[in-house]
Amino acid sequence: MDELVEAFAERRPSGLEQAYALWSPLFLSVARHIISDRANAEDCVHDALLRVWRAPNRFSGSREMLKGYLVACVRNEALTTLRRESRHDARALKAARLDPVPAVDAPSVDPVETQRLQGALARLPEDQRIALMLAYYGNKTQVEIAKEVDAPLGTIKSRISMAMRKLHAELASPGGNRW
Amino acid sequence: MTEHHLSEDAELYPLGILDDDAARNVELHIALCSDCAQRVAQAQAVAASLAAALPRAMPSPALERRLRESVRPRQAAKLRASLLPFALAAAFALAFLGLGWQALVLRERLQSDDVALVTMVHSHFNHVSMAPQSANPVAAKILYARDGSWIYIIADKPGGALHAIARTASATTDLGALTSSGETATLLAHPRERIVTITLQRAGTNVASAKLTY
Repeated sequence: MDELVEAFAERRPSGLEQAYALWSPLFLSVARHIISDRANAEDCVHDALLRVWRAPNRFSGSREMLKGYLVACVRNEALTTLRRESRHDARALKAARLDPVPAVDAPSVDPVETQRLQGALARLPEDQRIALMLAYYGNKTQVEIAKEVDAPLGTIKSRISMAMRKLHAELASPGGNRW
Repeated sequence: MTEHHLSEDAELYPLGILDDDAARNVELHIALCSDCAQRVAQAQAVAASLAAALPRAMPSPALERRLRESVRPRQAAKLRASLLPFALAAAFALAFLGLGWQALVLRERLQSDDVALVTMVHSHFNHVSMAPQSANPVAAKILYARDGSWIYIIADKPGGALHAIARTASATTDLGALTSSGETATLLAHPRERIVTITLQRAGTNVASAKLTY
């Protein structure tokens, strides 16, 4: 097993510290895409990582899977915070951008990966790409997406699922270097 | 393994767009079904790729420190406790003894300790000389934690009782009198908020002051 994954699975402090050292800009970028306030976004990263690290179930898998797992946990923590706050204050909802490409003066988390991703997204059928981008970059629920594109909920689920599978097939292909 | 596998929810789960019941169902299922756990893991990796295109945000050093203290609470407290006397020794050496005997002792200690600890010590405190004031000023230095959690004042030949007055962003407080010992007077305080300026007073007259930067 990968040394980092092993340290994380055994809940050694070095496991969390190494994961943080490798991916902390990614974690915070995910949180800040959902929560505008920097301090709240950092709280989300802190709480999510600590909760996962302290959880009794042991993680097993590759380093990339650990990364994906942690990113998903940070995103879920941030979305939960956003939805909890938005119940009390509609202004807390951040205006979501559908375009993931950052402004010229704001580089992306991983420019090389971004280039590959944009090519893969461009090759998706338009209805699948729109549904996926509304979900990920728009921070919308499946019900909200169904209303926005005026399609049944089941159709939206299928489109997003297909888009995710195609992206996995393409990004994990021999030409790729991610997994 | 279970007889039935997850629907599209396996790919939707990492995006955080399922309702609470559906998300809980995924979590329960993948705890028992390795095939679906693999599908969810693959979808999580795709979601991490989607995140690569987001504008980059760099975390503050405070976040790393909080996490480290959360996973190593006892070591962090022990390190903080061990740093204070170490820092005080350094203050005396730097302020009054130059490269004299105590500095040599300190240097030996520094050399014998872990390099990482030395780095930590230097990254944890600042020191500043106080600007003399009035016709009969006092020479004094201040050593203080970068996070504002403690402050140590050392005055050379105080020439009478000295009081330290601290100003923070919200209030001005008398930290109390410095304690004389031989030809020096010292005061250690743990302020509730970061001190912006320190003024030393002798019989109500300002005799030295310093601005603290963090």
